[in-house]
Amino acid sequence: MLRYTLGRLLSAIPVLLVVSLVSFAIIALVPGDMASEMAGPSATAEELQRLRVQLGLDKPILQRMVEWYGALLRGDLGESVLLRRSVTDAILERLPVTLGLTFLALVFAIVLGVLAGMVAAVRPNSWTDQGVMALALVGLSLPDFWLGLVFIWGFAVQLGWLPTGGYVPFGEDPLGWLRSMAMPAGALALTQMGLLARMTRASMLDVLRQDYVRTARAKGLPGWVVVFRHAGANVLVPVITVAGVSVGILLGGAVVIEQVFSLPGVGRLIIGAIQRRDYPVIQGGLLLTATIFVLVNLAVDLLYAAVDPRVRYGR
Amino acid sequence: MITRRTLGKGTAAGLAAATIGAPAIAQRRGGEVVIAQQAQPPSLDAATTTAQASRNINLHIYETLFARDEVGNPMPDLAEGVTISSDGLTYTFPLRRGVKFHNGKVMNSADVKASLERYGKVGGSAFIMRPVDTIETPDANTVVVKLKEPYPGFIAGISSPRAPCAIIPAEEAGKEAGKIEIIGTGPFRFVEYRPDSHVKLARFDDYVQNTNFRERDGFGGKKTAHFDGVTIRFMPEAGARTAGLQTGELHVLEALAVPAAQRLKDDRNVRAYEMMPWAFQTLMMNHAQGPTSNLAFRRAVQAALDMEEIMAISTDGLYRLTHGWQHPGTTYFAGDVGKELYNLKDQNRARALLRESGYRNEEVIVLCDSSFSNHKATGEVAAEQLKAIGVNVKLVVVDWPTAFNQRTRREGWHLWTLMLGIEPYEGPYGVVGFFSGHAPVQHERDPGIEAAQTKLTTSLAEADRKQAVADFQRRMYDQAISIKCGDVGIVQATRANVVNYKPYRIPRMWDCWFS
Repeated sequence: MLRYTLGRLLSAIPVLLVVSLVSFAIIALVPGDMASEMAGPSATAEELQRLRVQLGLDKPILQRMVEWYGALLRGDLGESVLLRRSVTDAILERLPVTLGLTFLALVFAIVLGVLAGMVAAVRPNSWTDQGVMALALVGLSLPDFWLGLVFIWGFAVQLGWLPTGGYVPFGEDPLGWLRSMAMPAGALALTQMGLLARMTRASMLDVLRQDYVRTARAKGLPGWVVVFRHAGANVLVPVITVAGVSVGILLGGAVVIEQVFSLPGVGRLIIGAIQRRDYPVIQGGLLLTATIFVLVNLAVDLLYAAVDPRVRYGR
Repeated sequence: MITRRTLGKGTAAGLAAATIGAPAIAQRRGGEVVIAQQAQPPSLDAATTTAQASRNINLHIYETLFARDEVGNPMPDLAEGVTISSDGLTYTFPLRRGVKFHNGKVMNSADVKASLERYGKVGGSAFIMRPVDTIETPDANTVVVKLKEPYPGFIAGISSPRAPCAIIPAEEAGKEAGKIEIIGTGPFRFVEYRPDSHVKLARFDDYVQNTNFRERDGFGGKKTAHFDGVTIRFMPEAGARTAGLQTGELHVLEALAVPAAQRLKDDRNVRAYEMMPWAFQTLMMNHAQGPTSNLAFRRAVQAALDMEEIMAISTDGLYRLTHGWQHPGTTYFAGDVGKELYNLKDQNRARALLRESGYRNEEVIVLCDSSFSNHKATGEVAAEQLKAIGVNVKLVVVDWPTAFNQRTRREGWHLWTLMLGIEPYEGPYGVVGFFSGHAPVQHERDPGIEAAQTKLTTSLAEADRKQAVADFQRRMYDQAISIKCGDVGIVQATRANVVNYKPYRIPRMWDCWFS
């Protein structure tokens, strides 16, 4: 297992290298730079050029690339030109917000999605099944930013239960954190909830037709024990696969949701950096996101072994 | 002619409170007011940034030697006034005495000298210090600035809020851009900055008011901080900002979309304040390549455009049809000059001018960006109007940095939509400078505009400078250098319990209070 894990971690290096190279190339191809943003519309060509020299934007792309990789090997992601601080610090400061949001959305999606899928599968083609699946389809079809705005209108403006936006750190006030995260996580989770519900239902229907389930029922075990303990355990593998993919999608969705709910997360940092062409932040942010994707995929593969005795990695 | 949709009784009530209600209402001290703005400030080092998001915050913290009054004219703030020598070369500023920085130190001439010198190095509009030869401090309360040559725009430059020439302690002035401690002399002091979240300010209890004035006036005057603290939140989503105002989480919005203001006109808890004018909507033209290098073609564009349609669509109805390249009511407004060529919407005349220009159906690129909705809508409407007279228009919509970058090139664009906000507010120097000098926006220098610019920046008599602005405006229309579409307004909004609020270039949190 250890050897397998190390192998996977090593294989991530070329993946991250390709990601950073592609992002460097894309950034170089996009017109406009941060000097334009900083100088404002009435800046002269001379002022713009002076700013470009100050910011090091006059250097050839290859030179900038070599310098960036050199610094990266020393663990330095560079300095944000607009924030005037280390990119690593800027990302680390915002990472808890994005990870907290993604984690809470994942919990919502798994708990409610899997539960809904199981309920639907236990009574296939019933009104319950049709209703749950219709709701799942609605969840899958709605864009999360729109849902976010609807949640704000409903839960904040009309009912006054939750704040319209903003962030309360967990360390300062856990209940405040939950209140500030409930709507964004809910809006983010709904799509994945629908996906997981449909996936769980399909897997559960397969499993419930298996002989060992029939045997368990024949032995007189209570229905909930058969569904949750015997059938549920075998539904876990495909659910984990989908949940692993969901983490990636949720991280991507967090970018938009952070804008809607004014959350100071990594997504908002990257969007701001793209709008202002703050290259070091874009590079660092993309590298971090790619790293999280790679690690989540690895975690999913390792989880297979934990939940399915048939899966073993290396010896 | 003024055309705007009414915002209903909320607006009327708000304006009434702001203008005539103030003296009668008991002032109350205390409370934490929360403002929301779309963007976060790129820097709180006031001198170094021209961003509106920074200005909204920084002008609560920092002050300048001269500020701008309610209509945008320069007025003394940290200086008692100024004496200008007859040759226009020596400016003597007596300073207000006893003014304290937020660190407790009393401001003196050394701080002012160090701040002005720093501005010349790192200032967002550092060019305003180019004419300066020496800065002397004959005593602790006097600063003498000597210029190399007469530059009547000097006071306008150092009083502009664009990238404010903020006075900071001399100990900070040696530091590079963005690395200073946030210390000013303003009515609020800096407390905390959480990136992507908020900035917190607290009332500066040792603030020394400018008793030369009776009340607030623009960015200057006698400022009184009633709120204990001000929190400025950065909320990119307009819908969330509006919702926050409705729920009472937010007390002030720097801008409220016009449709939202109309929707909330019956909400007793919200007050909307129109501010007109806020900016110019313009269509810049590139003279470096055909067909916009051709005067007859540019005149055809000028004749074809229907400004009412452009402005109504691009501003959601909050606009004013004015031809002037300065705001009416300001010192340099040039009256009716050029008015006969504004908003012609004459397609026959436009087609005739097109034929005269020898136009051969070349592609005409209208460049605009999607980052500012006004820019995009202006480009779209203008493009349709030009198509109607037979121009082969290609509309290019990109993001702001891309559009800005493109317009600095001599090729790849013919018309570019741009809203000029702070420049016309600053007066004529920024607006005329936009079309003159070594890098005019139209890429080709026009002798008439250059002559007007020289006259404006060297004439010591105000009458001559006014004539220079009139000459500039005449040339803008006669040569169809670029197109002024009209004036754009904005709506600022508060909760109803924010008393004595008056809309301005920033949401000012002095001289207003909670009921």
